[in-house]
Amino acid sequence: MSDSARPPALEAIGLTKRLGGRLVVDAVDVVCAAGTVVGLLGPNGAGKTTTLRMLYGFLSPDSGAIRYHGRDFVQDREAIKRTIGVCTQDDTLDEEFSVAQNLAIYAGYFRPRVPDLAARIAGLMDEVGLTPFAAQRPVTLSGGFRRRLMIARAVVHGPSVLFLDEPTTGLDPQARVDVWRLVDQLRTQGLAIILTTHYMDEAERLSDRLVVLDRGRRVTEGSPREVIDEQIGEHVVVVHADAVDAAAFHGWLASRGIALPAAVLGQLHIPLRGAQLGEFTAAFPDLRFTVREPDLDDLFMRLAVRR
Amino acid sequence: MRLPAALDWRSWAVVRRNARVYFRTWHIGLLPPALEPVVFLLAFGFGLGGYVAGVPWRGEQLPYIVYIAPGLVAYTTFTTPYFQGLYAAYVRMHYQKTWDGLLTTQVELEHVLWGEILWAGLLGALFATIVTVVLLVCHCFGILTLTWTAAALIPPLAFLAGCAFASLALVFTAIVPSIDHMNLPAFLVGIPVAVISDTYFPMTSEHPVIIAIVACNPVHHVAETFRSLLVLGHPGANLVGLLATTGALLGVCAPLALHLLRRRVLGER
Repeated sequence: MSDSARPPALEAIGLTKRLGGRLVVDAVDVVCAAGTVVGLLGPNGAGKTTTLRMLYGFLSPDSGAIRYHGRDFVQDREAIKRTIGVCTQDDTLDEEFSVAQNLAIYAGYFRPRVPDLAARIAGLMDEVGLTPFAAQRPVTLSGGFRRRLMIARAVVHGPSVLFLDEPTTGLDPQARVDVWRLVDQLRTQGLAIILTTHYMDEAERLSDRLVVLDRGRRVTEGSPREVIDEQIGEHVVVVHADAVDAAAFHGWLASRGIALPAAVLGQLHIPLRGAQLGEFTAAFPDLRFTVREPDLDDLFMRLAVRR
Repeated sequence: MRLPAALDWRSWAVVRRNARVYFRTWHIGLLPPALEPVVFLLAFGFGLGGYVAGVPWRGEQLPYIVYIAPGLVAYTTFTTPYFQGLYAAYVRMHYQKTWDGLLTTQVELEHVLWGEILWAGLLGALFATIVTVVLLVCHCFGILTLTWTAAALIPPLAFLAGCAFASLALVFTAIVPSIDHMNLPAFLVGIPVAVISDTYFPMTSEHPVIIAIVACNPVHHVAETFRSLLVLGHPGANLVGLLATTGALLGVCAPLALHLLRRRVLGER
């Protein structure tokens, strides 16, 4: 079967979930192919974690369908869960056991059993740099190593789809980069990876495709560049908030359907499409401003302003 | 064909995990069931027993130490799984996040629940067996005289009853707001149920309400069955009551606990 004819590793259609009477996820679609990373992106409360929890079976969707490699998740749940790896946002490491025991005991929760488990654990610990800590309890590890252990544990049984819920939250910059390398390595090994994050740089670096969520709905989807182009444009103009003539400025933005951006440390970051940059320059010839490339932070700020 | 959750390998994987943690410090963990009956036999059997001529039981007068010895086994059969289901399960669910980790695997919430029930039942059976062995040692030293022909029935009956008591505890674990609130099911339910049950003293009231409460109390049937086993050498008529009350308790509480835990752990309404 050619790659294009093969069903995606994960395909979720129209996922909807209400929690406590509130619509938390509203008809969200997620598709992820083997060897790619899909980033679920959005501000707090956007529905990322709930979507992820439905995908890996912690929560049941109120409606919608989830298929793994073309197989229905409801019909074939136990067998499909054998092929899924999950790294939750909160540490759920078993503090009663050592690093190596955590991997062995977790592997024991899967059938068919992991073949040649001892070698698998040794290889995995080596891969993520945990071998020197094999006999230590997780509580003795730094945040970065605990996260590596969480990820190693999530793949100890050799899944084909991996879920990472905010994998670098709370880590220092070096530890974050280490986790990024690890995720990239797993992608190269052919895993389909779905991750949530609210770090824009992380989403941009790691994701092949982004699904942007806001208030439970899918806002847009595509590669990071496509998403930025569609939602933001080609340029971001940065001006000092107190340097602009407010009335003229607001009027100009409104006439072009651009929402008034929130000031960040006294600066306004205004997303503009290609032709609008020329119009802006012509409209405010005396204004001092800088122009930069847009990034996902701009999208995040735009979603925040909409809220 | 889908196996019942209690028989599924995933429930037993949870049991294995809890057992592995528990028996890492087995020498500490097994001290209470080994020492508690000795202390209670000394305190109640010899201490209080010195003031009690005998306890009327099924038409005969039993020495108080003989009366309470099977009661100790019954008390352990109740309290061990009940408190495992309350405190230990709550700690694993809320503080250690062990359940959250399990739920990212092939293990489902119903297996976590049954794993906890089975583990608590097994621990209760183990503790009841240890207490019985301590009584046997006391018997061998002439401290008390019991009948041992049917004592082998105690572990399986303690396991069944322990599963029922753990399921009751897990209902409370599913609804208490914090571990401090565990005092309510522990002291308002656990202690009265354990005491109003013919474990340490006979419930001889003729008031119909008291009679009904005792008849519905599974710990009463456990105590009386164990007493029959260790005094008469056969389980007696209370075996039917034991099987009926613990079966009913398990049949009601296990599904109820699962329903309540779905709300608490998974956030389902």
